Amino acid sequence: MKKKKQLANELNLPQKIVMYLLLVCIVLIMAVPMWNVLVVATSSRLSASQSGVKLWWDSFSLDGFEYVFTVTKLLRPFLNSFFVTTVATVIQVVLSSFAGYVLIQKDLPFKGAITSFVMLTMMIPGDLTLISVYQLNKQLNLLNSYTGLIMNGLISGFSILLMRNFFETVPYSLAEAARIDGAGEVHIFRKIYLPVSLPGLATVFFMEYVAKWNSIMLPATLVTEQKLYTLPLMLKAMILTDASTSGTSFAPDNAVMAAIIISTVPLLFIYIFAQQYLLEGMNLGAEKG
Amino acid sequence: MSKKRGDTFRKIKRYRGIYLMLAPIAAYFLVFSYYPLVLGIVNSFHKVKLLGGSQFVGLSNYQEVAGSRLYQQALRNSLFVGIGTFLLQFVWGLCIAVFLNEVKRKTFKSLIQTVTYIPYLLSWTVVGGLWITIFSPTGMVNGILNQLGVQGSTVFMAEPAFARTIMIFTGAWKGAGYFAALFLAAIVSLDYSLYESARIDGASRWQQIIKITLPQIVPTMKIVTVLSAMGVLRNFDQIFVMGNPSINDKVQNLLVLIYNDGILKFNVGTATAAATLVLIVTMIISFVVRKLLRYDEAYDGR
Amino acid sequence: MRKRRLSALISALCLTATAVTACGGGSTAQGTTAATTAAASGETKAQETEGAKEETTAQAETAGGSVRILLNVTGGKDEEEMKLFVEALEAATGLEIEVEKPASDYSKVMMQKLSGGEKYDLIYLNASEYANLIDQEALMDITDYVKNSQILSQNVEQSEWDDITIDGKIYAGFNKKEVHRVVALNNAMLKAAGIDYQSIDPTLDGYYEVFSKLKETNTETDFYPFEVIMKDAWDLQPWMASVGVKTGVVLDDSGKKYAPVSTEAAAPVWEWFKKLYDEGLMDPGSFVDATSDMRSKMGAASKKSGCCVDWAAWVGLHNSNALAEGVSEDDYQVVSLPGCKTPDGNYMLGKGGASLFAVPANAENVEGAVKVLEYFATQEGGELLSIGVEGHDYTKEGDTYTQTEIGKTHGNDHGAPVPIYKDFKAPFGYNPGMEDALQFGQYASIEMTIPNEADYKEIVGKWGIQMIKGEASIEDGLAGMRKELMERGVTEVE
Repeated sequence: MKKKKQLANELNLPQKIVMYLLLVCIVLIMAVPMWNVLVVATSSRLSASQSGVKLWWDSFSLDGFEYVFTVTKLLRPFLNSFFVTTVATVIQVVLSSFAGYVLIQKDLPFKGAITSFVMLTMMIPGDLTLISVYQLNKQLNLLNSYTGLIMNGLISGFSILLMRNFFETVPYSLAEAARIDGAGEVHIFRKIYLPVSLPGLATVFFMEYVAKWNSIMLPATLVTEQKLYTLPLMLKAMILTDASTSGTSFAPDNAVMAAIIISTVPLLFIYIFAQQYLLEGMNLGAEKG
Repeated sequence: MSKKRGDTFRKIKRYRGIYLMLAPIAAYFLVFSYYPLVLGIVNSFHKVKLLGGSQFVGLSNYQEVAGSRLYQQALRNSLFVGIGTFLLQFVWGLCIAVFLNEVKRKTFKSLIQTVTYIPYLLSWTVVGGLWITIFSPTGMVNGILNQLGVQGSTVFMAEPAFARTIMIFTGAWKGAGYFAALFLAAIVSLDYSLYESARIDGASRWQQIIKITLPQIVPTMKIVTVLSAMGVLRNFDQIFVMGNPSINDKVQNLLVLIYNDGILKFNVGTATAAATLVLIVTMIISFVVRKLLRYDEAYDGR
Repeated sequence: MRKRRLSALISALCLTATAVTACGGGSTAQGTTAATTAAASGETKAQETEGAKEETTAQAETAGGSVRILLNVTGGKDEEEMKLFVEALEAATGLEIEVEKPASDYSKVMMQKLSGGEKYDLIYLNASEYANLIDQEALMDITDYVKNSQILSQNVEQSEWDDITIDGKIYAGFNKKEVHRVVALNNAMLKAAGIDYQSIDPTLDGYYEVFSKLKETNTETDFYPFEVIMKDAWDLQPWMASVGVKTGVVLDDSGKKYAPVSTEAAAPVWEWFKKLYDEGLMDPGSFVDATSDMRSKMGAASKKSGCCVDWAAWVGLHNSNALAEGVSEDDYQVVSLPGCKTPDGNYMLGKGGASLFAVPANAENVEGAVKVLEYFATQEGGELLSIGVEGHDYTKEGDTYTQTEIGKTHGNDHGAPVPIYKDFKAPFGYNPGMEDALQFGQYASIEMTIPNEADYKEIVGKWGIQMIKGEASIEDGLAGMRKELMERGVTEVE
């Protein structure tokens, strides 16, 4: 009996083979370009400038990383990005979980209008508000400040809708029962919804972290003081060289790739951190079963 | 009628705590999204001069955009590549998520998940350049084709016939891990007892995937679709990095054109008019998608 | 239940839709009031600061006031160096200098700043932005200041001023001297093929011979003797010279714009490109590569390309990169040539689109701005823009300059690798090979400054590729190019 149960819990052999083959293919396609970034970043300057996709070292060197810290001086921008992104994402997760909670209330008046109000903000193309966003930040005195970097893009409709989606999986009857027992909204939200939605919170946290960490458009608008530069701004300036004038200032390829790695590593750490919650969510499901 | 109104009023009163929770968010959106939006739309009716002296020109910016062959073509390209990318990315992401759920070894699982996610973390300036190299005459794709006995080399990136396919493929490649993460989050939080009872009924694992996993994550699929529908016209970086004159007729999209007009030529009026049209088209697409999926009903019907 | 929700949704959508249209159509009044209040509040702020400024200038009248500069690549590489740069500039000009440097997306940020009511005395811009801002009436005519300034009129070649004179007026001064692009060749490969580069026949046939020989001696499959960046028509000038055709847009006899590369006169050059491609002498990557790809193929690490057109400075950079990694001159050396001879026995090379400092129309201290421009056009100013700040990037004892470790990493570039001062002496010299390349500058001229340069490049590239690949005959391709250039407003006659 027990054996049969386990059998049914897994795919049969041919299915497994097909599945693993596909998985290996996908992983290969996705891993090759990243492997290339790693190899170029740890090659010598000359060897890094070789054309084509480089998949193995012919001269290993950490000069690229040295260049990035001594010449480009990425440390400060790195810390700026880290500070701004972390603070903004934490606030965002809190606020959007509120909003998500609002949107799951049964027959809340004007719910449709509220949803549309939130959704419309996600559809506005950046080009439309290019100039007015600058004027707004000037009026609010947010130019060249950490507050400005945190405030712009603080809340996104995206995370609100995601949170709502995760809250939806919580049986509404639980909340209803608590309400009948006289529990306040805050209590219901904290004691019933938040604990069950941890995997969801982790997902939203991570996705927003990535979006904020990589954001270029708003920081470029806000910041002209070098001490406030964020990492993606430096990266973009390193990667894109202006071909129309005869400037010669450019970063060597190994340094550019090293900078890319430096900007990706924190995200990987946070991803691994978020993944634990995903696994926890799985255990939670198992216990319930 | 009046009873109904009283009803609504009572409900509002009942939910006042809820509305209070919403207040800071609403205020934020009003200031940081809607105010700039209104100013931007005002600009679209002007011939904007950077140092003041903008002139009201009525609908002429809109007429210019709507009448432009380039913009019409760009809209077609945006839709084709945008929708194509979404579909492929959806299937690709779903496959990763479902397969990953079958992998039992934790380290292996987390490794695969991380690897498939990394492309999403890198910017287009990086991965776009990489793919151009891979598709170049001396690149990997031609190398593989030569191994398979295909003679000569093809400049894939300069062939209009391949252009959209390449954009769709690379676009989906970059986003698949992200979709997969969303799907996986939904799969792992599914109620375990559903599988238990199916197993007792003797369903194979494959049947369980088809009959339980997939139907159960339909709400997540819907939200992924709705969210993506709003971003279909938003693709700038990929085409900006990977486009070139020989294939631009097939792939150049709205945002790239707006960038050329608005930023390179400082035509703020035309650019904001085009951006407003993008907003309107997005609203229509999103409305249709929401209706088709019965997205708004799904949440209250339960 | 369902119906109500549906109607709620629709009404919400209608609401937003009406809000949108209302703001647009009916509410210009409302919209503009919002805009004017915004502008007004910006203005009062500006006035306040202006007031504050007046006070300080009153106190330090001799200092000549303050100058606010929006810059892109110029100056120090980080906050601390930028401070040193500003101090050096202040000491030299007696002005109070304030600089702002956007980290990326310069042209977008400049647009936001100008339309957001920020006032600058100098803004950095390139040739295309220069033309566009003049169109917008956003720049100040400083022709008289330039004419009256001894330094500006004597230290800078008249031809440089001619390049940026639009309808008889000048709106900017120079950030740096734009050098030109030359034909760069890998001399080690030429030697291996038994060719002395100085005796190459400066005709299309002459270069064809050279490329054929290079291909014969180098059998690597992915080696191509020649690469040209067709993607954005990077630089066709040295080849177009063979038929005396100038690249870019030119005015015809009646003052109308046309693109000579799209005329029948240019047909032989397009034929030549096609021949090179058909015979495997031109890298098929030419259709998709960017200049950075071209450079890596040309570089000592790859050696996948034997010849390309690039900035004079890159001839030197290729060589110095190779030397720094211990590659000897026998293995790798890039040399330069001025391309094909024109029918009347001259050469034609392309020069960089200017990089300038313009004075916005709302500048408050034009005199101060001109003073800064004057300083940039002197030996000392040129040193600041090239080798950097004394005491930080280099030290100086008498006439001997010694570069510091920091200075070495900056590659003699703090905005102007070659300063605009006509008699400028580079204290540390130039990279090997660059000096030779610079000598061809006498043949170089700028392309006409047009607002839609990007369109020009895209259209020429697109049809050029079709002709070279044989998808369109030369005749049809040129006709198509002319038609599209017209349609998109790049040219005025076909």
